[in-house]
Amino acid sequence: MAGLNDDAQWIVLMGFVVSFSLFFLAMLLNQSTLVGQTTAEGVLDFPKNDVRDVKDVITESVMLYTSGRDSPSNATVVQLDIESLALSRKNAVVGYTPIDEIALPTSSDKHTRISIHYNNGVTEYNEYWTSL
Amino acid sequence: MVNDTGQLYTIEGIAAALIMLFSAYLVLSATSVYTPGDTHISDMQLEQLGTDALRMMNTPINSSSAKSPLQEIVETNNATYFNETFLNYVNNKTELKTDNLHYSAVVTYRNITNGNTTWNYPLSSNRNLTGGEHPVRVTEWVLANIQAGSNVKQNRAILVEVLLWRD
Repeated sequence: MAGLNDDAQWIVLMGFVVSFSLFFLAMLLNQSTLVGQTTAEGVLDFPKNDVRDVKDVITESVMLYTSGRDSPSNATVVQLDIESLALSRKNAVVGYTPIDEIALPTSSDKHTRISIHYNNGVTEYNEYWTSL
Repeated sequence: MVNDTGQLYTIEGIAAALIMLFSAYLVLSATSVYTPGDTHISDMQLEQLGTDALRMMNTPINSSSAKSPLQEIVETNNATYFNETFLNYVNNKTELKTDNLHYSAVVTYRNITNGNTTWNYPLSSNRNLTGGEHPVRVTEWVLANIQAGSNVKQNRAILVEVLLWRD
């Protein structure tokens, strides 16, 4: 390049191409440490297991009540347990149909119906659950 | 004074300037260093593993037993049973050598006799937390017939919280 003539311009051009491709590769290397990061964050942020767990314990408790194995007053104690523990330890607002509003099964309608609400500020989940 | 000699020098100068600017940009933006505080991928795997283990423990062993192992553990406060089952679930690998997961478990409950505040008591642990570990927290809701923060033994919803870490 220092020579004051225009020889070897192709060599110089190829030099540029190679150096730019090296920088491009360096950029790829720079980004590769982030692979899987957003995926893992997405999985950690979404409260899939929390929603499943809280739904399981709610239906279990309500079914104990509607099948006559637990008193309404005790089912209300369990409801307060779930709601206050979810708020204080899981940072989630959880609510479901008050026990005294859940219809007991009759001979014509054997189903138990509960509305379940879950909201942790990022994910909101509502379900209208009907027993089999 | 203006002529068209030295065009290649000009191009070279511009290219060199661009390369230097781009290098500076790469260096300044390279803050994504993989540090122990930023291990989301292994955190996610640990959390899944722990949740699965607790969920298996909260499933009745067969249809004739109404209570799950975790319910029995909480009702009888059986730390040995918890320790055995939980470590068996999380540490077993396909090869002979087992994994090195450690845990510390507590039971959290609502204290009715003390203003409905949230209390907890230790359930079991196989190692003490010293502060240098990087644990993840996994939880499982359990419906157990216990006397926790009330005067009588009754059905209560409690939360089993487990801190899980690998070393």
